[in-house]
Amino acid sequence: MRAVRIFFVAVVVFLVLASLITFKVDETKQALVLEFGKPLKVIEQSGLHFKLPPPFRTIEIFERRLLIYDSPPNIVVTQDKKNLVVDAFARWRIVNPLLFRQTVRTEPGAQARLDDIIYSDLLRELGQHNLDDIVSANREMIMEAVTKEANVKAKDYGIEVLDVRIKRTDLPQENEDAIFRRMQAERHRIANLYRSEGEEAALKIRAQADKEVKVLLAESYRKSQVIRGMAEAEATKIYAKAFNQDPDFYEFSRTLEMYRKALNERTTIVLPPNSVLFKYLK
Amino acid sequence: MKIPYKTVAFGTDTMRVPDIGAILRRSGFWLIALVILLWLATGIHVIGPDEVGIIRTFGKYTRIEKSGLNYRLPWPIERVDRPRITEIKRFEIGFRMNRQTGKYIDKPEESLMLTGSLNIVDMDLIVQYKIKDPVRYLFRVRDVPTTVRLATEAVIRQVVGQHTIDEALTTGKGLIQTESMKMLQEILDSYECGVTVTQVQLQDVLPPDEVAEAFREVASAKEDKSRLINEAQGYANENVPKARGKAAQMILEAEADSAQRVKRSQGEAENFMAVMRAYKRAPEVTRKRMLLETMEQVLPGLQKYIVQTDKGSDLVNVIGSSLLKTEEQPKAKTEGGSK
Repeated sequence: MRAVRIFFVAVVVFLVLASLITFKVDETKQALVLEFGKPLKVIEQSGLHFKLPPPFRTIEIFERRLLIYDSPPNIVVTQDKKNLVVDAFARWRIVNPLLFRQTVRTEPGAQARLDDIIYSDLLRELGQHNLDDIVSANREMIMEAVTKEANVKAKDYGIEVLDVRIKRTDLPQENEDAIFRRMQAERHRIANLYRSEGEEAALKIRAQADKEVKVLLAESYRKSQVIRGMAEAEATKIYAKAFNQDPDFYEFSRTLEMYRKALNERTTIVLPPNSVLFKYLK
Repeated sequence: MKIPYKTVAFGTDTMRVPDIGAILRRSGFWLIALVILLWLATGIHVIGPDEVGIIRTFGKYTRIEKSGLNYRLPWPIERVDRPRITEIKRFEIGFRMNRQTGKYIDKPEESLMLTGSLNIVDMDLIVQYKIKDPVRYLFRVRDVPTTVRLATEAVIRQVVGQHTIDEALTTGKGLIQTESMKMLQEILDSYECGVTVTQVQLQDVLPPDEVAEAFREVASAKEDKSRLINEAQGYANENVPKARGKAAQMILEAEADSAQRVKRSQGEAENFMAVMRAYKRAPEVTRKRMLLETMEQVLPGLQKYIVQTDKGSDLVNVIGSSLLKTEEQPKAKTEGGSK
């Protein structure tokens, strides 16, 4: 059966030929077509492509996805002359494989170039801002500026820098100690504030309570006096009304009652013989 | 099937080997068919319930497969990737927890960060995310997990830098979580990572060890504050109601006294009226009777001196000046009463 032999030979020949005149561009990659080693064109379209066999055409494959550049921590000096350890990272991609191939050739080469670009841009940009700005207020803006500048330079290498971000900002040890001392002082201040606020509030509450007590008692004293006065007035009216009917008899009977109450065994009474009491003794 | 052999010459020796040519010639067509079939069969594959299948044809993304039994053309034409789209991926910043041993390893270089107004806080967090768009996840960014981690570190420091240490330690935690989650998602979307951040969870947020003592002091000062306030409140709670009671007591007493005063006056007035009415019927005799009855009651207990009117002054002198005062006062009253 010659058919079998022919079949396998045909398969092998087909595969060899195919590998010579076609190439695959993956979804995640882009291809640079070289003509005798000279860059000819870039193919970004993924899928199967045809080409002339080597050595007329050779293919180099480059990454198309977004890549990470992670810089080592660097010390930068801020505008207010403080040292700051800055650890940044960037996202970049190869946008021009042709330029990329001609200048930095490989990804490690690109990383080394990005080291230079991003470090110098960071150094310069952060040097124009105060420490406070970098940590709190303007980080986003600063990063945008660094990204923009880095991007201009990176363009020459066929690289686009999507963004540069500060991952960590730490202070050198001696500055950190100073911060810790400041934090401690600040905490002491806050603690004292809490305590004196507590005392303030407590005094206020106590004084308020004392005031309420005083006002309550005074008010009720006033009310009770009014009540008593009204009762006194009422009583006076009643007495007056009754006694007015015969003031003379009132005086008489009241005087007698007073004798009963006022005169006792310690009283000495001097009576003249013509007293009404002795009227019948004569 | 009988295996055909043939004799092969190796230099001077000869050797009997299976005659492959003959085998192929005999089984020829079927063998070709079998090889092709086997090759095609390598394209059968299963996509798990938590996965999707992303198919690339000659490197170009062509289609997406759901879970179940699927077919793709065999290598080298098509290839399949199976990202797990339901899986929640999780990573830690500031510490590492060994899942097996439960051992906690601190990473101060990740967890120490600067807050607003330049304080330092020690913050641990957990981030969870999952694949939102498997195509982007596979094709847009190389090494998505590292990308997410780096972006998280950048974002959390930026957000924490915009808050004070007190916010980070207490009330601002929720805000920091939501802000970082939002910002992280925006950044990852700008990278076209194809992931959704499902959670940014702050774990321990503590002051650094170097200043922990000072922070504890603040906490105890806070306690002192509320203790002082509570004590004062207690004082107020004790005294104000007491005073209210006392006030009510004063008023009630006044009311009682005045009721008493009015009733008594009424009683006395009525008494007087009654006596008066009786007196009016026989004034002279009643007047005398009343006087005499009173004297009768009063006089037995008194020390009495009876004096001659014309020599009275001498006797008064004899008795002595010490008695004079007690004498004069009742005398004055006697005079008043006899009117």
